[in-house]
Amino acid sequence: MLTLVPYVLASQGTMLAGRAGIFNVSQEGIMLAGASVGFLGAYLSGGNLLQGLVLATVTGALFGLALAYFTTTLKMDQFVVGLALFFIGLAISTLLYRLAVGVTLTPPLIPTLREIALPGLSHIPVVGEIVFRQNVLVYGAIVLSLILYLFLYTSGPGLALRAVGEHPMAADSLGVNVPVVRYVATVVGGMLIGLAGAYLPMVYTATFTDGIVRGRGWLSIALTFFGGWSPHLIFFGALFFAAVEVLAFRVQVTGIGVPYQVILMLPYLATMAVMMPTFRRLQIPAFLGKNYDRERRMLL
Amino acid sequence: MAERALGPARPRRAGVDAALSYAVSVAVAFAAVGVFLAAMGFDVPRAYGTILFTSFRTANGFAQTLLKFVPLLLLTLAFVVPLAAWKFNIGGEGQLIAGAIGAGAAGIVLPGLPAIALIPLGMLAGIAGGALWAALPAWLLYRFGINEILTTVLMNFVSFGALDYVTTEVWPDPAAGHPTSVPIAVGARLPLLLASPPLHAGLVVALAVAAATHVYVNRTTGGYELRAVGANPRAALLHGIAVRRLSLLALVLGGALAGLAGALEVAGVHHRLIEGVQSNYLLLSILIGLIAKGNLIAVPPVAFAIAVLDVGARAMQRTMQIPVEVVFVVEGLILIFVLLSDVVRRR
Repeated sequence: MLTLVPYVLASQGTMLAGRAGIFNVSQEGIMLAGASVGFLGAYLSGGNLLQGLVLATVTGALFGLALAYFTTTLKMDQFVVGLALFFIGLAISTLLYRLAVGVTLTPPLIPTLREIALPGLSHIPVVGEIVFRQNVLVYGAIVLSLILYLFLYTSGPGLALRAVGEHPMAADSLGVNVPVVRYVATVVGGMLIGLAGAYLPMVYTATFTDGIVRGRGWLSIALTFFGGWSPHLIFFGALFFAAVEVLAFRVQVTGIGVPYQVILMLPYLATMAVMMPTFRRLQIPAFLGKNYDRERRMLL
Repeated sequence: MAERALGPARPRRAGVDAALSYAVSVAVAFAAVGVFLAAMGFDVPRAYGTILFTSFRTANGFAQTLLKFVPLLLLTLAFVVPLAAWKFNIGGEGQLIAGAIGAGAAGIVLPGLPAIALIPLGMLAGIAGGALWAALPAWLLYRFGINEILTTVLMNFVSFGALDYVTTEVWPDPAAGHPTSVPIAVGARLPLLLASPPLHAGLVVALAVAAATHVYVNRTTGGYELRAVGANPRAALLHGIAVRRLSLLALVLGGALAGLAGALEVAGVHHRLIEGVQSNYLLLSILIGLIAKGNLIAVPPVAFAIAVLDVGARAMQRTMQIPVEVVFVVEGLILIFVLLSDVVRRR
């Protein structure tokens, strides 16, 4: 359950922007920046995790804003801008950490998020212990997935958002403000990805290291594809990703005669393996990765 | 057709215009970070002096810069060649490691061969390793249409495991504190252009490969088809170009170039397999490729400039305790400004 959260948050963030037609490829950078800022926010305030979470969310929002501005307003290529932002996120995450903490022999630590047992429910045998005794972000990720599902499929703005990703011209002709929708979706998406980054030091390591994200940002893109860019499927897909990660960790600890390096490769290989039969059949927003220019008649 | 902010098929602009926008971008990026550094209380002129001139003050600094320039140049080509077909190869790191393992294996397993056979064999093993590492994502794209950004990146993480395995289990050097293999045979090592400071012959190889790549992409029919696929895949398909097969080829070619970079690092610099051989070359190479806007003529000078900044930044970190990442931020800003200047000129 613990390992689920970063995947769910980052993928839902990716999905939200993608559904509006913005293909964000800077998750790894945003998560690193979120991890760094979130850690520093908590560390410098003497362990105030909330402050860290808020700052990480703001950082993610800024990245989302930059992505939206460069692609939607300036019409620059989404992959190119995404890679540039990935680079910048990576650079500032380490830079901020070095400037604020410097080089230390013992890593600076912050407290990790406490688990909250839901009264009543956590006493259910087996299931109660697993599902209802978690930190606040686990509950948050579950509720978020539910809200996003309801928002996208049952609300007017959700419909508008999906329309912008599928056919911005049609949406525009119906009076939907395409740039505004794309801005909002990308900024909120960035917030979720930043939050996903902050989760890592606050639950796993209690400190920040350069390699803390370790490909989870990229994996979350894979998960978003795997989940067909829809919130409920992403949630269930995340269960699979989390399970592989936990499995890899368990096998590494107990050992089963396989070199542990092979186990370390497992999440990445498994991801590629599951995409093989499924990728073609997946739903992908028709305008994913394409900018919309209302002054241009011809699309595609 | 959606307009693409960079791409090889763009019309030729006056070189002066482009040079000017680069100069302004670089100046603004340095100025912005300079203000930040000054506010932090650092000695900005001295810091920038160190960053810019370390490479040129001593022979050693210059050799250092060229040693970085070689893998950066090749890895950038590994990114830019698929980019001509508008495919994003973010797996240069993994392909470099696979190439390093290939070259290392040749140098360790076949110590008896004479240098004249062993050196080319090592290079070929490296090229094959890198090409193979890129072949899986390329095949997944070809066969299943899986986004290549994703798969090439995931293969990086697989390569870390593979490198760890060969340096700790297959050919470990127990004397080293860090996961490292036993050294490769003396006959597998590249000859030196310069004995002191050491500078290996890979520089010549890299420059020759860069020239050949330019000729292939911009002066041959195959390269033209590649660029046609990148500029407008639908039009290319309608004109009978095998779009998917060319995309596959472009990625494998990129992998081969990255593999060669890995082989040169092993045969020329480390003389053994060592964890961390990939350094931060992947990130810098993507940066170089994007700053050069995929233009193969611009890649070598930009790669050299980034190598200068990298060597200078490390010197600055040593002498002034300013984190080396400051320069990454400068570089990231340069990239943003270079891309922005395109937008400005388009208006």
